[in-house]
Amino acid sequence: MSASSINTELLERAVGKLPSDLLMPQRMRALTRFAESGFPTTRHEDWRYTNLAPAIDLSNLWLLEAADGAADEPRSDASRHYAAELASTVDAHWIVIANGVVQKDLLTRLTAQQLPGLEAVSVAAGNVVQPVFSILAEEPMTRFNTALLRDALHISIGAGHEPDKPLGLLVIDDASSGSAVSQTRIILDVATNARAEVIEYHASIGSHGHFANVVTELKLAQDAAVDYVRIQNRDRAHFQVGKLITRLGRNASMRHAAFDLGGALVRNDVAVDIAEPRASIELHGLYLADGKQHIDNHTRVDHRVGPAKSREEYRGILSDRARCVWNGKAIVHAGADGTDAHQANYNLLLSDKAEIDTKPELEIYADDVKCSHGATVGQLDKAALFYLRSRGLERDEAAQVLTRAFAAAIVAKSTVDNVRGHVETLIDRRLQDLVGGASR
Amino acid sequence: MSTTTDDIETLVNRRYKHGFVTDIASDSLPPGLDEDVIRAISLRKKEPAFMLEWRLKAYRHWLTMTEPEWAHVHYPRINYRDISYYSAPKSDDDRPKSLDEVDPKLLETYDKLGIPLHERARLAGVAVDAVFDSVSVATTFKEKLSEAGVIFCSFSDAVLNHPELVRKYLGTVVPYRDNFFATLNSAVFSDGSFVYVPKGVRCPMELSTYFRINAANTGQFERTLIVADEGSHVSYLEGCTAPMRDENQLHAAVVELVALEGAQIKYSTVQNWYPGDENGKGGIYNFVTKRGDCRGDNSKISWTQVETGSAITWKYPSCILRGENSVGEFYSVAVANNMQQADTGTKMIHIGRNSRSTIVSKGISAGRAQNAYRGLVRVMPQAANARNHTQCDSLLIGKDCGAHTFPYMEVRNATAKVEHEATTSKISADQLFYCRQRGISEEDAVNMIVNGFCKQVFRELPMEFAVEAQNLLNVSLEGAVG
Amino acid sequence: MLEIKNLKARIGDTEILTGLTLTVNPGEVHAIMGPNGSGKSTLALVIAGHEDYVVTGGSVQYMGRNLLEMDPEERARIGVFLGFQYPVEIAGVNNAYLLKAALNAKRRTHGEPEVDAFEFLKLAREKMALLEMDQALLNRGVNEGFSGGEKKRNEILQMAVLEPRLAILDETDSGLDIDALKAVAKGVNSLRDPGRAIVLVTHYQRLLDYVEPDFVHVLSGGRIIRSGDKSLAIQLEEKGYDWVREVANA
Repeated sequence: MSASSINTELLERAVGKLPSDLLMPQRMRALTRFAESGFPTTRHEDWRYTNLAPAIDLSNLWLLEAADGAADEPRSDASRHYAAELASTVDAHWIVIANGVVQKDLLTRLTAQQLPGLEAVSVAAGNVVQPVFSILAEEPMTRFNTALLRDALHISIGAGHEPDKPLGLLVIDDASSGSAVSQTRIILDVATNARAEVIEYHASIGSHGHFANVVTELKLAQDAAVDYVRIQNRDRAHFQVGKLITRLGRNASMRHAAFDLGGALVRNDVAVDIAEPRASIELHGLYLADGKQHIDNHTRVDHRVGPAKSREEYRGILSDRARCVWNGKAIVHAGADGTDAHQANYNLLLSDKAEIDTKPELEIYADDVKCSHGATVGQLDKAALFYLRSRGLERDEAAQVLTRAFAAAIVAKSTVDNVRGHVETLIDRRLQDLVGGASR
Repeated sequence: MSTTTDDIETLVNRRYKHGFVTDIASDSLPPGLDEDVIRAISLRKKEPAFMLEWRLKAYRHWLTMTEPEWAHVHYPRINYRDISYYSAPKSDDDRPKSLDEVDPKLLETYDKLGIPLHERARLAGVAVDAVFDSVSVATTFKEKLSEAGVIFCSFSDAVLNHPELVRKYLGTVVPYRDNFFATLNSAVFSDGSFVYVPKGVRCPMELSTYFRINAANTGQFERTLIVADEGSHVSYLEGCTAPMRDENQLHAAVVELVALEGAQIKYSTVQNWYPGDENGKGGIYNFVTKRGDCRGDNSKISWTQVETGSAITWKYPSCILRGENSVGEFYSVAVANNMQQADTGTKMIHIGRNSRSTIVSKGISAGRAQNAYRGLVRVMPQAANARNHTQCDSLLIGKDCGAHTFPYMEVRNATAKVEHEATTSKISADQLFYCRQRGISEEDAVNMIVNGFCKQVFRELPMEFAVEAQNLLNVSLEGAVG
Repeated sequence: MLEIKNLKARIGDTEILTGLTLTVNPGEVHAIMGPNGSGKSTLALVIAGHEDYVVTGGSVQYMGRNLLEMDPEERARIGVFLGFQYPVEIAGVNNAYLLKAALNAKRRTHGEPEVDAFEFLKLAREKMALLEMDQALLNRGVNEGFSGGEKKRNEILQMAVLEPRLAILDETDSGLDIDALKAVAKGVNSLRDPGRAIVLVTHYQRLLDYVEPDFVHVLSGGRIIRSGDKSLAIQLEEKGYDWVREVANA
């Protein structure tokens, strides 16, 4: 436990230096509220396994050293280079948010294509968007995000439309010229009967410290369907806190697969609100951690009405001194009859120094429900290992094969085809580190 | 096949049957708590100085603590100054030496409770220690047990007659600073049971204690300590009842178990404190700390509980699996009906190599009740090959109740295997119809299905308790369906 | 014994029985055949009193009493038995326990003394031997982990122990291999009795090779469109249900 807390005075000064634009009133309101709560600590039940002290210390350092220049538009050729390379590997309509600011050139290029039903705008560019931030305002990390927000990306997909390619949202942060803290905000509005594939890709570069705080809000109207893949491939020294909030309309469906590969301290929260009947949500995730990585995944599905279905499966592979946390909550509110909810979390521990804390939770206030969860922590199946070795595979090789198979169950759930090959490559590379490292 | 349909029918027509007040002279301290009260308790019990010191340390620490709020239960603030911390059915000076000396009215009470102290003890071979309000009244079968070298007596007697054992083990599993309620208990506990089973001895009979809160505005703070020396075995049963009263009464007990090398302790509880009425008026607040320490290699501690009573249950019988190859078990049925709230579960702390634990929890919610399972499985880095399996099922009866599952798994060893499974369901209409088509009434069918749901746990109870548990379950769920 | 007149019933908004009339006398074996969705299982469940089905018209008299106003357990206790098409599993409830409770519930209704565990076991074992059932099934949970064949034999065992006056067997033959089918048929035949009526609800003629019916009825669109003797079943097997429908419509 650490006594770290944010320097409110410096924070106020930094907020004050941001441009006096449309966002200013929201920033000020969020700042006041954030000042009351501060960052969450391990004394909060939902944060008991996540110690944000390093991110708070870094934020203070940044406020002290760099916040005065925070109002300047970040310019990074390295970011551009990264984006170009990714775009050549993964075919999608890419939009880049660098250090919290939507890159206007790519946005302009996308807009120029005049894709039917698709609209993408930057809030900082003076576009008025509906104030959708209110529901997020009650959590400290979203308040912090709003207070320091420079820009936000707002994308809407019109009724009945389906973009020809996935939308690629590259969130890239550059900390090569000094420690940095960035706030990213994405709002995605999918109208009635529209469909979309989305790739949310997180990366960071630079040898200084970086702390990214990302908030994504996703609204699916009636009959809308979204396939969503989130890839987190940050520098192994950087921090990230991410929140994805999804609201599902009647008969809407969302399939989500998340891959956490990088980062030093990573915390992801996914909140799904099922407020209308017959919605369905699938949440899948894979986290791979070694070294001293700390990766947390928290999900919360609110079944407010039924019938509706939620399915959740997260898998983790941990090596070295890594620590991962998984917390899956399903809350079935009174009257949500016909709810069918299942959560599962499976973990492979490859080292005695690694730690997994897993906490599946069910809170049920209705009786006509089918709810279950399961969680396991264990090792590779010895019988399977022996079988492969008896067929002539080296121990490491056999372990690789089985570990890859363990991970492949989640890759198979990733429903955005354009990015699957890339994800497989990234995972294979990480698994070589993890399994190789564990047997040494 | 231990309960016939007839039994169930008579049982479902019965309300909380233990709700009567026994009118006997009792010696109580006035409500309130300060160091003088603690001194008075210690003085009345003629305790040696070390006990008073320990109590005072606990009290001073308690003053620095705040009541925990993390459990999934809600209740008005308890005013600890309104509670009387000591109530004995008779003055201490002429406490009974044998059953013949026990106030006949008191014996009648136990008969009403269905604890025929004489018959039951003789027929069933159960040694019974009955704790009435705060003081242990009579212990049967003392002689037979002492032949085997087993010490089974009230905690007060143990403090007087075996101070060296009490001093050696008291607070070593649940330290006086442990938690708000355990610390309060350490300061004010008045009596409870004490068991010591010497090396290599298999206790010749089941040991049993009945707890009953009688006097109004009395808190019951009993403390139980069971020590099973190397290679010994003991099975201990605990039953609880309380009269119906409009006010809530506080019960904050502490149970400490110590299992040395190769020892086995089986601890079974049937808890049937007054749960309050349909509107949540009255009932016992049951804030209990129960913990077992598998201190020696190859030791085993098994908790079995059937929790049907109390307005609020806050209870997590736990095992510290310190010894190599040690085994911890937790089998639980928790029923919450009407306005009852239960937050119960267990902790299994794996420290020893090859330590194993099993958790089977069956929660039943009905009426407007809230029932939560909360459990922790922690595998420490040194606990190589640790194994845990948890099965946690909830059954919902009716639309207005809640069933919640909060398991925590913290694993720090790469050879450990931890598995958790949980399900939530309601009694299916198909099952009910099937039974009714065979001529079984709806009420009986529900009881049958609920008992089937709990079978895995009932199987772990000693025979005569299993029957009682089934009956209690049916009574607690009375009116839950239809 | 059983008199159904112009019975109409629905589940949700769907009308399934549309005016069914059927009379069954003691000692008779009736077979009710019909294509999927014709209302066979609905008929069985309505007679047993399943609450999902709403009777919207007609009457069902059993031994001169109005069956429709009784609870399912009352119907069972006066001798109406339904062998389920899909017997439900009830975890943890001992098979023997359920059966003994059911038997004693019935005996109480008839003012007979209850059987004790010893008598019950003796009775159950006799019946199991007759059905060539594994005795171990008695101590398992009700249908818990039973194979399809075991579940169906268990239904027949329950029938044999409870000795109903009117037994309705809903697709008891489906999913059985030939040995199981013979064992089930043997059980059914052993219960043929001048005082007892049996209604076999079936999709195929196969079971009727082993249990010979006195009457065969064809159900379609929620009512009986044709009745006959055993030869009707053979004709059906040869010509299919479309044939009866055509004949009926003609």
